[in-house]
Amino acid sequence: MFSYILRRLLYMIPIVIGVMLITFVLFNIMMSPDAMASRHLGIKASKQARENWLHNRGFDKAVFVDLSGTAPGSAYEHTTAKIAGVVGWFFGPIPAENFQERVRLFAFPSSAAGRGANRFDTQFFHSLKSFALFDLGVSDATGEPVLDMFKRGAVPSLMITLPAFVLGFFLSLGLSLFFVFVRDSRIDVWGAVACVGLMSLSIMVYAIGSQWLLASQFMYFPAFGFHLEGGSTMRFVAIPIIAMVIGGLGSEVRLYRAIFLEEVRADYVRTAQAKGASAARVLFVHVLKNGMISLITLVVASLPFLIMGSVVIESFFGIPGIGSFARNAIPTADFALLRADVYVGSLLYLSGLLLTDICYAIADPRIRLS
Amino acid sequence: MRTLRALRFLPLLLAGLPGACDNNPHPRPLHEKRADGSPWVVAYRALPDDPRSLDPQVTYDTLSHLVVAQIYEGLLEYQPFKTDPYELTPCLAGKMPDRTRNADGGESYVFEIKRGVFFHDSPCFTASGGQGRELVADDFVYTFKRMADPKVECPILSTLQDYIPGMKEAYDAARKTGKFDYSKPLPGVEALDSHTLRINLLKPYPQIQYWLAMPFTAPVPREAVEYFDGKKHDGEARTRDQFKFHPVGTGAFCFVEWGRGRLLRLARFARYTATRFPETGWKPEAEARLRPLAGVAIPFVDEVQMPIIREVIPVWLLFRQGYLDRSAIGKDVFGTVMTAGLELTGKYRERGVKLSRDVEPGTFYAVFNMDDPVVGKNRKLRQAISTAYDEDLGNQIFFNGVDINAQQLLPPGVAGHDTAFKNPYKQHDLPLAKKMMAEAGYPDGRDAKSGAQLELAIDMTADDSQARQMAEFQKGQIEQLGIRVKIQENTWTSLQDKMHRGNFQIYSGSGWFADYPDPENFFFLFYGRNAPPEGNNYGHYANPEFDRLFEKMSTMDNGPARLEIIRKLNALLVEDCPIVLMSHRVLLSLSQPWAPRIASNQLAVGGMKYARIDSAMRAEKIREWNRKSYWPVWLVAGLAAGAAGYATWWGRRRNV
Repeated sequence: MFSYILRRLLYMIPIVIGVMLITFVLFNIMMSPDAMASRHLGIKASKQARENWLHNRGFDKAVFVDLSGTAPGSAYEHTTAKIAGVVGWFFGPIPAENFQERVRLFAFPSSAAGRGANRFDTQFFHSLKSFALFDLGVSDATGEPVLDMFKRGAVPSLMITLPAFVLGFFLSLGLSLFFVFVRDSRIDVWGAVACVGLMSLSIMVYAIGSQWLLASQFMYFPAFGFHLEGGSTMRFVAIPIIAMVIGGLGSEVRLYRAIFLEEVRADYVRTAQAKGASAARVLFVHVLKNGMISLITLVVASLPFLIMGSVVIESFFGIPGIGSFARNAIPTADFALLRADVYVGSLLYLSGLLLTDICYAIADPRIRLS
Repeated sequence: MRTLRALRFLPLLLAGLPGACDNNPHPRPLHEKRADGSPWVVAYRALPDDPRSLDPQVTYDTLSHLVVAQIYEGLLEYQPFKTDPYELTPCLAGKMPDRTRNADGGESYVFEIKRGVFFHDSPCFTASGGQGRELVADDFVYTFKRMADPKVECPILSTLQDYIPGMKEAYDAARKTGKFDYSKPLPGVEALDSHTLRINLLKPYPQIQYWLAMPFTAPVPREAVEYFDGKKHDGEARTRDQFKFHPVGTGAFCFVEWGRGRLLRLARFARYTATRFPETGWKPEAEARLRPLAGVAIPFVDEVQMPIIREVIPVWLLFRQGYLDRSAIGKDVFGTVMTAGLELTGKYRERGVKLSRDVEPGTFYAVFNMDDPVVGKNRKLRQAISTAYDEDLGNQIFFNGVDINAQQLLPPGVAGHDTAFKNPYKQHDLPLAKKMMAEAGYPDGRDAKSGAQLELAIDMTADDSQARQMAEFQKGQIEQLGIRVKIQENTWTSLQDKMHRGNFQIYSGSGWFADYPDPENFFFLFYGRNAPPEGNNYGHYANPEFDRLFEKMSTMDNGPARLEIIRKLNALLVEDCPIVLMSHRVLLSLSQPWAPRIASNQLAVGGMKYARIDSAMRAEKIREWNRKSYWPVWLVAGLAAGAAGYATWWGRRRNV
């Protein structure tokens, strides 16, 4: 098992590099350095100010490899000019000549001052190097270290996702056991209808609905905001948690109910019943214990994501967590923050997958990792 | 059955929950009471986003200025009440500067700096144990040097370096060596003694006074810039902030905290003496209210909380509950707040809410590319399009009819704006426009020679549905002339690229917000030498006559002679029609009865020091507007109990 985990960890490296590669390509095709600088300095900023801004952050370097002044460089330019017209067509809003220039910047610095010391003195290799050392860089928008941003964002994010996760789990567990207990009754049927209804609506509906009801109709909790101040912090996370719990309830109850129903039909249940155990005891002792094996596996896999927060809920309720980073990084053209977010996100995603596999192996002896 | 028994406590738990909660979205104020026992007054103003930076030499966006201008002040400031025209008044300077012509063709401004003005207390002032020291002329010299430091990234350096000697040289030297030499004197800015400052200019540039009223030139203490370096130092528990996140100024409010994405908190600077409440300038109807305040020490509020609220709806929800002192009127709530006659609805009038209209000193327009072979070379065609465009209808559809139909480039309040002026090509006269099309060589939108239908392309951003609807509207307006219009939707980025390259035919959605209320700040947008990539003349408008008049006008002082030239410049623009003028935007906003507006001045962003708030009234209204309902708790508890009962019954039945 140890060698399996080690191998999986090693596989993560090329995957993460691939993810970063795609991020760099997409960002640099959508955003020209000049527009990026205008985004940060305002449209009134002069060319001198824009170039200075780019130079201070290394954005005037080539994106992937620096081919300036080399023989392959001219071949590269020649080829990109030819294919740009064709490929640019696919990108709709970007005219072909802009596309050609963006692709050119993959291998050439955008100004003379950005010329690299060697071929690998480029944006991509610089960030790979620093990411490998877990240096996440500084935000382009504010100049704040990204690691500090993650540190301070983790607390608010976890204050929502963790309680929502725990509450949601136990509420779904309780409700699904309730529906299994009263299975085939009219309540069970209507419960299924209600769950499918809950599943069909977007999380936004629950966010807006709970904000409107709980904050502006019943006046229980603040409509917006988050401040850490001891016990009364709870009032800020109440609505987001409620919205997240309700948003996830429908599908979870259906899933858990299906898992328990499968167990209810198992042989050991009939044995228990034959021995005279009450329906409640059968359900809450025998079925619950056996069903938990598959449940826990599902649940553990989602643990790494809790720290990444929730993009929608955090932006909507003004929770300054990690989830809102990516959402704010894109419109503000904060590439440093975006790529760090993608990097950390992909690491967590891969570790979630690995964790699932390990959990399966631990929970179910029939599965062996090799 | 243990689980079911535990459920019995659920109603109790749920009933207890709302009692312990509160819908107040703000953190606790710094204090409950002032030292003298009177109530601690807090102002609550939402910000639509985190500021980019709080470094006065760097920030160039309205949002950051809303914060920076409360903390930093410059030599001059805008008189808060005078907006037509706007007027400068001394702030850190004792009086308006003495201006002298120099023999070499340049000029000098000599400022006397007020005595007894202090920087905010900060640990950076190690010599005085953290107490802020007195402001001296050398602080201004340091600040101007800082603007030339490439590491600082001051966005107006490229403008000022043309006028202030030494700035360009210092910038270039630092780019070369990688380090700015602060010990070298800057010939353009000299401290004559501890409280006298002289600014030398290479050529006359009266607009320098407006820059001196903006945060860019507000003095920063060298100690703070060097102390707040964002690093961890030995023997200190916490990493120091970066200077741009930890401002230290001389303004009426000092910085307390900035929780990113959450809250910016300022507190009254107890030793603030630089300015007092103005003694003149308000409108006659405010006389009774403001006369008693004349010359009184400011600021009036003890703390300013600026919650950062990126969404529009929560601002409105919180305003309606009384938790914010101000709110703009968003599209979504326009119908519930405003009547068709653009007045407040009865509900909000009863609440005592006040409506204000602020005219932005800015102009929106669409730009013709003057290098384009079709629109650029055919003046009659441009005039026809401008004449056909119905701004009033667009205003009605998209802005509820509140904006001002722009007749000239200069917005209201800027010297040279003529309220009576009617632009002959902005009177929405379709028959006339059609006649002009014929004169332009396109009768009924078809080329008089080849008979081909004229096709034009409009570039614009299409970020949201409203932008797309506006695109459709503008297309429809021009198509009335028989022209076929193609809308090219762009992302913000690709539109920026097109503008910088001049790669468009008509570009819609352009506009300019005044840096300062001088016509030079608007006419320079059409100055031939200001074309991209260096400048902002995106349409590449070039008219030697215009350029000549502009150069003459820009260095003159306001007066009849200047006005005459401004009229000529305006007439040239109107006749050449390089843009389709659209609107001057009007902002509608609401203020709570306990926080009435003192002044309406879009350029005096540091106006928080004049704000007054009636805390007792606020507390009472918030209680009244936020009564909790308890029935939903009982409903939920009832449902839970019902479900538990049902399960018990079902379980018994099945067991039987």
